[in-house]
Amino acid sequence: MNALITISLLALFILYLGLFKAYKALLPVTLLGLAGAFALAVSEWNSFPTPIFSNMMLFDNFAIAFSGITIFTTFLVLLLSKGYFERISSNVAEYYALILFALAGIVLMVSYHNLSMLFIGIEIMSVSLYILAGIKKRDFSSNEAALKYFLMGAFSTGFLLFGVALLYGASGSFDLEGIRNYIVSTPKPSALLYTGIILILIGLCFKVGAAPFHFWTPDVYEGSPSLITAFMSTVVKTAGFAAFLRIMLNCFAPKQEFWIPVLVTIAALSLLIGNVTAVYQQHFKRMLAYSSISHAGYMLFCVIALDGSSDNALFVYAASYSVASIIAFGVLIILQRQTGNDSFDSFNGLSKKNPFLAFTLTIAMLSLAGIPLTAGFVGKFMMFTRTLATYHTYLVVFAVVNAVIAIFYYFRVIVAMYFKPEERTELIVPAYYKIVLAFSAVATILMGIYPHFIAGLI
Amino acid sequence: MNLFYLIAFLSVFFSLLVIFSKNPVYSVLYLIITFFTFTIHYVLLNAQFLAIVNFIVYMGAIMVLFLFVLMLLNLNKDSEPLKSNIVKIAGVVAGMCLLVTLAGSVKALNVSDPLVLKNPDIGLVQNLGKVLFKDFLLPFEVSSILLLAAMVGAVLLAKKDPKKV
Repeated sequence: MNALITISLLALFILYLGLFKAYKALLPVTLLGLAGAFALAVSEWNSFPTPIFSNMMLFDNFAIAFSGITIFTTFLVLLLSKGYFERISSNVAEYYALILFALAGIVLMVSYHNLSMLFIGIEIMSVSLYILAGIKKRDFSSNEAALKYFLMGAFSTGFLLFGVALLYGASGSFDLEGIRNYIVSTPKPSALLYTGIILILIGLCFKVGAAPFHFWTPDVYEGSPSLITAFMSTVVKTAGFAAFLRIMLNCFAPKQEFWIPVLVTIAALSLLIGNVTAVYQQHFKRMLAYSSISHAGYMLFCVIALDGSSDNALFVYAASYSVASIIAFGVLIILQRQTGNDSFDSFNGLSKKNPFLAFTLTIAMLSLAGIPLTAGFVGKFMMFTRTLATYHTYLVVFAVVNAVIAIFYYFRVIVAMYFKPEERTELIVPAYYKIVLAFSAVATILMGIYPHFIAGLI
Repeated sequence: MNLFYLIAFLSVFFSLLVIFSKNPVYSVLYLIITFFTFTIHYVLLNAQFLAIVNFIVYMGAIMVLFLFVLMLLNLNKDSEPLKSNIVKIAGVVAGMCLLVTLAGSVKALNVSDPLVLKNPDIGLVQNLGKVLFKDFLLPFEVSSILLLAAMVGAVLLAKKDPKKV
């Protein structure tokens, strides 16, 4: 709760700083506030609380772990934002404030204990993101991304809300525990319950961008400013899955036999569509968008193999995916700014002039592909073993085949950087970027070698 | 009960007028009256808050929006596209399908046990306020962040950028 209050107040404070034109102070104050929020969130670790505000929220270890990682990832993304928003327009304070508002919504999404809080959290996050996607007002693709995201988001919110209403109709409660008690105690629940579960599933799948509800993802990710895309594909995705897992784990778990086939189909489709389409992309950013769809498929595995340690597996996967994506987007931002192009050809010969950039990007690609000794491997390994333990053998075999396909397009970048020599000018890497890239690369490798660091956390 | 039948008759009557009036502006005006009869229904059902919201939001805000859009579209006989026979036949077929479905579902209807409200004052604004400020205080407060974010965003998108130097 303290973290939520801190972030909300911080956003207001940033707006005031913008009003008084203290532009130099914006980024340091934001980072400082986020560090404070992170510390406040972590300080509640293992306090085993009870739901607060008449059962609206519950800051258990699950909520703290996911608030922690989303706040931390936002911190990294914001470090990359040094000098980024100034190029777009002069309203820099509002952008920081909107990112903080989105983060406040995300904290709600990972700690809700009542469906009304889930809904409000998702809305706060989405409304902020609709605007952030369209902050390049003169850029056509940014406008398109914002409009598409808004229409699709509003549509999916409708599904979610209708599902919540039907669940209320069936069980007479918005409370996660109340609904669970209803499911457990009623041998033959009404049809409203099943319809409600399906509608909520659809709404959440829209939000996390899992196929067949993924069609907005590529255009929105490509059209949005790269920094916002980085935020969307790391923080927002993690939060979406945390919300997903929370409702499944605490609420719908007794009805597993009903919704697991649905989720297995969705996961398999996400893997197939994400990976196969990514192979055909010529641009790095669009490839990352499709790869994020396939990663949504992998992350769904933690919901399919649902038990007490699902949250751990999701946490590891989300952490590894987030740090690797931040490297990828950091390099992408540098490349776009200085060459104005992000096709695979523009990576040619990068290793000669910028060995550091090339090396960190290689680590990120290896981690995303799931090569051993990187964090991505540990994440995939945990997902696959748990799914195998629940006898979804075919799904895991299918996923492994897809992981092999994924290696192809991730390695295209590495091949371009190291084995296609080309004369090029050196890219200038700002100091902030160096810190973030180095930190993320070290974290990726550390998590890959000593997974026990975070694997047994929750 | 008689009042209910009168209002129900008016609702049906005005909604038919919405469909059958040739002039779209009249159509919208009839729609406003239809919504007004709905408001009376809500009052009869003891849902005061819903009645007020229906009155303000639907009759006030949304219908004004409708009228504005109509005005901007400038609909009249000249600009109305001619409908081919195939479209008309398709419309008739679709309408008949809907009718059959409705008739089928009406056949399956039966009178349920009359619902007795445990608390007859449940729809009053007073009770709603109590729930809102007691049980749902946190969502109510947090909605302020949602509205603020939307407001900041709307200003941000709508504001004119100073000319780039």
